[in-house]
Amino acid sequence: MANVARKLSAPRRGVGNAFWSFMKSPGFARMLFPVAVILFWLGAMNVIISIWPFMAEVLPTPLEVWGAMWDELIDPFVDGIQAATRANVYATFGRSLIRLGAGFAIAMVLGTIIGLAMGLSKSVDAFFHDWVMAILAMPALAWALFLSLAFGFGHTGPILTVILTGIPFVIVNIREGVRNTPRELFDMARSYQVPQQRITRHVLVPSLMPFMFAAVRYAFSIGWKGLVIAEVFGGQDGAGWTIKFWYDAHRAHAVVGYAFFFILFAIVLEKIVFDPIQRRVFKWRPQITNLQLVEKMFDEPRLALDMATVADASAQPDGEGDRIDG
Amino acid sequence: MATTVEQERPEAASTEEALLRQRLRRERINKLVFRFLGYVFFLGIWEFASGRILEEALIPGPTRVAQTIGDIWGRGDVPDAFRATLLRIFVGFTISFLIGAIIGIISQNRWLEGFFKDAVLVSLTAPGLIWALITAIVFGNREIGPIIAIVLTTFALVTVNVSEGIRALPKDLVDMGKAFDVGLLRRNRHIVIPHLAPYLFTGLRFGFSIAWKVTVLTEVFSSSRGIGFEMRLATQLFQTDEFLAWVLMFFFFALFLEKVVLQAFERRFFRWRQEVAAA
Amino acid sequence: MAEISVRNLHKEFGIGADKVVALENVNLEVGGHVFVSIVGPSGCGKSTLLNILSGIETPTSGKVEITQEGHEAAPGYVFQAARLLPWRTVLDNLLFVQKEQTAETRARCQRYLEMVQLGDKGTKYPGELSGGMQQRVGIARAFSIEPDVLFMDEPFSHLDAITARSLRRELHEMWKETRKTVLFVTHDVGEAVELSNRIVVFAKGGKLEDDITVDLPFPRDPADERVAVAKAQVLRKFEELDLVAT
Repeated sequence: MANVARKLSAPRRGVGNAFWSFMKSPGFARMLFPVAVILFWLGAMNVIISIWPFMAEVLPTPLEVWGAMWDELIDPFVDGIQAATRANVYATFGRSLIRLGAGFAIAMVLGTIIGLAMGLSKSVDAFFHDWVMAILAMPALAWALFLSLAFGFGHTGPILTVILTGIPFVIVNIREGVRNTPRELFDMARSYQVPQQRITRHVLVPSLMPFMFAAVRYAFSIGWKGLVIAEVFGGQDGAGWTIKFWYDAHRAHAVVGYAFFFILFAIVLEKIVFDPIQRRVFKWRPQITNLQLVEKMFDEPRLALDMATVADASAQPDGEGDRIDG
Repeated sequence: MATTVEQERPEAASTEEALLRQRLRRERINKLVFRFLGYVFFLGIWEFASGRILEEALIPGPTRVAQTIGDIWGRGDVPDAFRATLLRIFVGFTISFLIGAIIGIISQNRWLEGFFKDAVLVSLTAPGLIWALITAIVFGNREIGPIIAIVLTTFALVTVNVSEGIRALPKDLVDMGKAFDVGLLRRNRHIVIPHLAPYLFTGLRFGFSIAWKVTVLTEVFSSSRGIGFEMRLATQLFQTDEFLAWVLMFFFFALFLEKVVLQAFERRFFRWRQEVAAA
Repeated sequence: MAEISVRNLHKEFGIGADKVVALENVNLEVGGHVFVSIVGPSGCGKSTLLNILSGIETPTSGKVEITQEGHEAAPGYVFQAARLLPWRTVLDNLLFVQKEQTAETRARCQRYLEMVQLGDKGTKYPGELSGGMQQRVGIARAFSIEPDVLFMDEPFSHLDAITARSLRRELHEMWKETRKTVLFVTHDVGEAVELSNRIVVFAKGGKLEDDITVDLPFPRDPADERVAVAKAQVLRKFEELDLVAT
């Protein structure tokens, strides 16, 4: 708005004006942020080192971190001792993903069965309810440590952790799906004497879809977070184990570098995998705000997932860029 | 072609009523019975698995754990550990809340919103583990480590809530206040703050829920006191029963804070909001 | 065309102190090419009557009979809220309620969409349409199964006055052409007078209080004096009932 006024009142040279308006755009601000982070990083390092000189050994510089990341990224393409001792970032994340897949599948199957039963029967619901809520609130750390004590190092601990952290989300969502079937649509279909089979196919199943999708999405995301913690304490390889490896080796730059990989992975998972699928599958849904999504995400995951559909502002009329998704 | 529906009038309305009442009562008892059975079942499995399926050392049963809790209390370790952890949580989360709220407020400016967009995104999606490890490796066992980890993991939740709350500010109510010449202070007190309060509270609840988990996680790596430290100690010494004792003690305490305290608070002060949601 | 016969219909909800009598001993005969409006204040059981007639609810006691000549078309039902399947396109929503899904029925559904001026919206999702358009889809859907009987439950009450007015006209045209029996619930007396041959009046507590024949010629212009007079008469009846009913 200010730009328009400026253009009308004081015509400037074309290029200068364009440059200035670009600087004022939120898009530019977004690009500025990583730069600001690095500057802050270097500045903070300088301050800390001047007060505590010994910290110079511990604190990694951006360059070192980038170096560590770069080595990992190009690892498959070069020969070297790195490849021999442990897997590179691709293989590492791949192995973790396989474990996640296994745990996720089990959590989905078991969780759906229990969730259906709880939604359909009040007795079953009473039976399981408190325990599902308890497991839901239990931090992944507790499972990870406990299972590492019980099962030592290997696959069992991490996979079980995935199941234990993810299954309550699946159960709660499926249960809510069953409970929230749209009665008025069933009545409508029945008043038109639509045969039962068609009602099941076109009314029941689609009405469960949002909840199903939410269950999948959250079992996967939460399962991932639980998996890496489990790998830290009870794994032999995988993403979590690797970052712990560097931590134990006191290689701060590698730890930070791997942390970036984690961040990247999480963003890819949320924004590049799940969001587009969500948008396509639920293109018929009206939009809801991100607050409602985040708000419900933990407290009432059922409702959150009910509404966790097209919460992407790139489809919204005001044309903003990406908004934050839970 | 005819469709006919016919029903005879039931003999006495009272028997129908009585039947209905009976059915409702039976349902309620049914629910209690099954709930009780659920506890019996799961605790039973636990107890059973402890002795038979896996060694007692690997999975101590509920009785053994209860005993251990008593022992630990007796030793006097509990208050110190709890105090250390809770202090970190409260300091860390307070800072996180302030930062999150401030960012949320200044994000009403679109340029600043763009600037912080990725920070919020990362904070929301990155696993807390990485912050725990980074702060542990950089700060060792200094108190500031867990605090920074808490801030990084939770500020975004507060920001999102505050931001939405401000965006949803009912402009017509504020205008009404201006039209009636209500002063700025009173306007804020009676319109803006009550409107924002539920959003702030939501941010508080979810942020806290995550904060305590991240704190314990960070303590496992870096601290020399606190719940996380005790958990790590017990793990390293292969004392599963002590480990479980600490976990469950803290877990129930945190659950208590989350559900009982905060939810009761919310229910009392924000009843009007729930009614709207239910409508 | 069809015959609807309701005898001694009684419907209660709840027990004891919470008991609600929705319909009290209702007797009603409707048949042929008529447009019957059911009017009354909220809570007088009009919607319940329709639910029972369409099979969604069962009566506590009494007899309901719907006779249709020839084929076995289910009654058409238009709801207050459109009740469209949000995950299917508009055209699919009409197809959903057909007995068979063939190319022929598809074409027929498309024709009914055109009848309500939504011929080009067949591939849209309900979420993309306005309330008025969704309601029109609901009407098209009800007509598309070509029923002999049509039940409509305050279909225009949620719409703005202008949309409602044009929809009333469309409805009237469609009724005139297709010669159906229509049972139309509304709280709007003016609407009832504009559209119906017969107005059945319910009072609070589910009692059928009056049965008024409206003899004015069609089409009726709401601005017409005779229509206004008829409306005033019905309203006066209302007031009388209010004094009597508790």
